[in-house]
Amino acid sequence: MLRLAGLAMLTLAALSSSGLHASKASGLQAFEPSFLLWGGDAEGGAPFVEADPHDPSRVVGLDVDIATLIARALGREPRFVQITFTSLDQSAARGDFDLGLSGIEDTPARRAAVAATMPYYEFREVLTVRAADRDRFRSFADLKGHRVATLGGTIAYELLLVAEHDHGIVAVSYDDDVHPYGDLANGRVDAVLLDNVLADRSMRKVSGLYTDHAGVAVGHYIGVLGPTQTALRDRMNEILRAAMRDGRLEAILRRWGVWNDDQPPFFARVLADAPIAGTAIPQTTSISAMEMTRRYLPSLLMASLVTLALSCLSMALAVACGAVIAIGRVYGGAVTRLLLTTYVEVMRGTPILLQLFVIYYGLAAVVRLPASVAALIGLGLNYAAYESEIYRGALEAVSRGQLEAARVLGLSDRQALRLVRAPQAFRLALAPMTNDFVAMLKDSSLVSVLTVMELTKQTQIFATNLGSWVVPGVLCAGLYLTMSLPLAHLARRLEAAWQAPTAS
Amino acid sequence: MTPVLAVRGVRLQRGLREILRDVSFTAGAGDVVALMGLSGSGKTTALRAVAGLDPFDAGEIRVGEITRGPGPVRRDHGRPRVGMVFQFHHLFEHLSAIDNVCLAPVHVQGVSRGDAVAVARRLFDDLGVGHRAGALPRELSGGEAQRVAIARALALDPPLLLLDEPTASLDPARRGELGSTLRGLAATGRALLVTSHDDDFVRDWATTVVILADGEVVEQGDPHRVLTEPRHPATQALLRGSP
Repeated sequence: MLRLAGLAMLTLAALSSSGLHASKASGLQAFEPSFLLWGGDAEGGAPFVEADPHDPSRVVGLDVDIATLIARALGREPRFVQITFTSLDQSAARGDFDLGLSGIEDTPARRAAVAATMPYYEFREVLTVRAADRDRFRSFADLKGHRVATLGGTIAYELLLVAEHDHGIVAVSYDDDVHPYGDLANGRVDAVLLDNVLADRSMRKVSGLYTDHAGVAVGHYIGVLGPTQTALRDRMNEILRAAMRDGRLEAILRRWGVWNDDQPPFFARVLADAPIAGTAIPQTTSISAMEMTRRYLPSLLMASLVTLALSCLSMALAVACGAVIAIGRVYGGAVTRLLLTTYVEVMRGTPILLQLFVIYYGLAAVVRLPASVAALIGLGLNYAAYESEIYRGALEAVSRGQLEAARVLGLSDRQALRLVRAPQAFRLALAPMTNDFVAMLKDSSLVSVLTVMELTKQTQIFATNLGSWVVPGVLCAGLYLTMSLPLAHLARRLEAAWQAPTAS
Repeated sequence: MTPVLAVRGVRLQRGLREILRDVSFTAGAGDVVALMGLSGSGKTTALRAVAGLDPFDAGEIRVGEITRGPGPVRRDHGRPRVGMVFQFHHLFEHLSAIDNVCLAPVHVQGVSRGDAVAVARRLFDDLGVGHRAGALPRELSGGEAQRVAIARALALDPPLLLLDEPTASLDPARRGELGSTLRGLAATGRALLVTSHDDDFVRDWATTVVILADGEVVEQGDPHRVLTEPRHPATQALLRGSP
């Protein structure tokens, strides 16, 4: 749901910026556009970019202030476009905006894919645990066998993958940086690794947590531009440098409550052109795309298995529930029919993403379902509504004559359903069911919002780290097709078998 | 001897329309009773009422020792008293010919599958479709499907067999075969009730004819007499209308 909204905004942004780029293409070097189009994700929230509580059509935050500072220094007006956080690099490369700012981490892969500004903030990756566990879980070694959450596709996630290998923790990837802390408080995970800004923000909202500010790594926020925009980038770096020197950047950081003792030495190093202490990120950088693909292949295959298993189990649930609903709607009394019709209309009429959120996060106060179970139930119950409509149609398509013949022979309604109506309906339902199963394979990618690491999510992480969608996209498509084509083939064969004359 | 089927004073209406008015007739063991009438005269409705597929509003229908009155139809417990062959046969499309026949014996009467198959094979052989046992309904010709449907209706050995327009889809040569088959079935102590448009068929093979017009029995008796010297205008109209 949120993702779709982001996509729509992105499309609008692309449309609205096209005029700007047309003017750039005219080749007038001296021409300075009147707007600085900058992209960020307002879903990321304070203190970076958030909708102004007083006027939600505006955005506020430290990145908003920095964008404004840069734009004004360029003699332009800042104009914000909403871009989904995980798409910022790709959008920059596509030219959807001039500058991306949204608490974006400095990574070698990112530097290779886009033109990056100089860093403007130094953060620490910090471990947050429940206050009761503060003496028990002090390091990754203490967290062996425990679930540690973070935002997917970040330095923190890479660090967790290394810790998974080195210390035996279980890395859990979230689509956002708020729910990990909620799930930490209610026990779904035992620790969260994110930067100190995000950790401090969540500590204010969620009680009973403890953050060790010593940190396990250091990183920096940067701005991103299209890879060819190095001239504009250099001008922006000069502006940032000036703001660092004269205290305007410090004022912004103080204003948003993220100024700390790490910043003065960091500023000093930047202004002295000294090398900035890099983040202890795993070396995924210098290796080739081929090598990276080879490394990611096992996890993509694993994620395919997750997708396949989840789809099969969810479909089994959907078929069972769908059959019960269909039979209830065909044979049930008025009240039963009304209840089941309501169920079907609600499930079909609301987004499945909303249903997944409600089952996983909404019900957490009542029943704390593991992510995989919530995903299975969410997909299964949603598809049950669609399956029930197929079965109801198929049951009603079995001719009255068949049922009358059964009745004259003395079969009870139940026997007529079991022996005559259902078997014939099943043959009619098979083709649309196969269709739905293939759709389920693809819709199962939605459950990544519940931290389930399925194929699309794994591909997205792969693509983020690789800085390209080409190889990951082709691999991912190939894996989905490998799963769906045999199904379609099997369905065709079954249908053919039932149509073919039997030996007489 | 009490008749196998006794229909007495049956009235059936749908909304304001009376489809059957005070219909009475009987069928004894060994009888082939033909219901005749123009389209819309109520003959198929009468057959469906006897079969227990349509409820009626007044009168009674007795089959064997079980009497049914007006109101919703309850399913007979145990062995159905009535076998029915539909005009369009309504064979179970997903089952082979022999499985169509075995379904009720196995699931309603609890006969073992082996015994049910043996009965079905004997019926198929008697009816001349022994070679089609494994075929699916859509692979059968009209005549074959009819004989499989007759076998299905006979599998439970009902004392009363109903056939709706059995001659409609048969060519004249086949009609004779069907007629002698029906007489043979009646001769084994069954009562048969058949709707038909075909007065030659009825004259040749029925033992009694009942003429319906606008839901009323207007004439009944020996087919040779009724169909050769019709007394009621409706019967005369019926005979004029036939080719």
